[in-house]
Amino acid sequence: MTAVVGPDAGASTLGTSTLGAPPLGAPTHRAPALDRRNPTVKLALVFVVSLVVMFVLDPVTPTVLYVLALAGVATTTRTSPRALAHAHIPFAAFALGVLSVNALSRPGHEVWHAGPLSVTAEGLAVGGALAMRTLLIGVLAVGFVRSTDPVALMHSLRQNARLGPRVAYAVLAGYRVLQDLPREWATIQHAHAVRAPRTRDGDPPRSPRHLGRVIFTLLVVTVRRGERTAQSLESRGLGLAPRTTWHPVRVARADWALVAGVLMVLGLVLAATAGLGVLRGPGALAG
Amino acid sequence: MSAPVRTARDPRAWEMKDLMLTVVLGVVFGFVYWALVQAWNGLAIAMGPAGDLAQHVLLGGWLLVAPVVVAIVRRPGAGVVAEILASVVEVVFLGSPVGPTLILAAALQGLGSELPFWITRYRRFGWTVFAVSGLLGAGLVFWFSAFRGGWYGQEVFALRLGMQLVSGVVLGGLLAKVIVDALARTGVLDNFAIGRAEIGHTQAERNE
Repeated sequence: MTAVVGPDAGASTLGTSTLGAPPLGAPTHRAPALDRRNPTVKLALVFVVSLVVMFVLDPVTPTVLYVLALAGVATTTRTSPRALAHAHIPFAAFALGVLSVNALSRPGHEVWHAGPLSVTAEGLAVGGALAMRTLLIGVLAVGFVRSTDPVALMHSLRQNARLGPRVAYAVLAGYRVLQDLPREWATIQHAHAVRAPRTRDGDPPRSPRHLGRVIFTLLVVTVRRGERTAQSLESRGLGLAPRTTWHPVRVARADWALVAGVLMVLGLVLAATAGLGVLRGPGALAG
Repeated sequence: MSAPVRTARDPRAWEMKDLMLTVVLGVVFGFVYWALVQAWNGLAIAMGPAGDLAQHVLLGGWLLVAPVVVAIVRRPGAGVVAEILASVVEVVFLGSPVGPTLILAAALQGLGSELPFWITRYRRFGWTVFAVSGLLGAGLVFWFSAFRGGWYGQEVFALRLGMQLVSGVVLGGLLAKVIVDALARTGVLDNFAIGRAEIGHTQAERNE
């Protein structure tokens, strides 16, 4: 059995790779290090780091953390440098936008200007901090998604985080719906294209109106499917107590080591930048 | 025939079909959004710094799922649950690079969107309630987004707030009512609270 998202060489984006074939079973011992860790623990760690860096507003601290996170993701998941670079595109573009908006729209000491545009030192500092934070959280999210099978996460959340079985299995059923959506979309699109009048060039219609119709049909079909799924889940006894568990998911000693390691690195970096006097909090926004 | 096995369950607990509806709506909205974002990314890159501002136009769309689900299911908490589940789909299954803090933002959006329905005790579903829902949904989460995005102290702060509120009312409020009414007309919602309340609902709307 293979682990996680599978061989995704050439997968155009993060999203398409997770939408691909459903992964089977839990990761084996041949899987990369991060793949073997408990999904709930990984999710909680990404959440904690994201929350902490929300309060950091100097460019240096998130840059250091980003480099460390990038090295961690590159070495502990099965992600080629090319795939990792490719996964950066959406949030790197966003980071660039954040940097330029802040550089141009913050009052302060002017370092460059042309016509109505002026770049300030304060704007560059805050923009740099926000852009590096975007990259940091982005690379953590990539590491999480690349190393975690969504099905294993839901089972882990149910067993390790006390998520109700009805909710957990409803979300899992929703995951199946999600995997079928592209095919469903194509079917509806074809059905509409058969009847709809062609464009002047003889192509199938591509107007927003046509798109709206396809989306609405998709919505109706999916609502029906949801109702049927709910009936079949209940008729198979979902929600009855007591439940037994096949393949229990545990939080192992290595998971606690991961927690300790990540929190220690985060603490050390924060302490170091604070000691050097470069760490800044939300006060940086006030200029 | 033997009596069906029943475990003691909280009568306020959600019915499975309501839960499933909430999940699948989160999935569909998440999917359509994901498809739109792919298209949008190219545009945002082309627009440079303006792309960061222009994305506020679409903000209201993220709020849609909460009022839609509240209007169909009509249970306290439906909006918050719907937003959280939709964000879980985005973060876990679609791999949103925003990361898990998106789930926090979603909870705030859901809270804001649900507030007007809660105040009217899930009995009024006219245009005004939907509009206020979009306004509060956008308005409440704005302060969190502003902190997360470092918008405080920017010269375009008020512009951002204005764009998000307008988008919230139109895309996150009024559009939700259009969708709910259209769905109800198809008959797929007949087995849900909205279908059961259909007669009373149209009556109430006439009196509005």
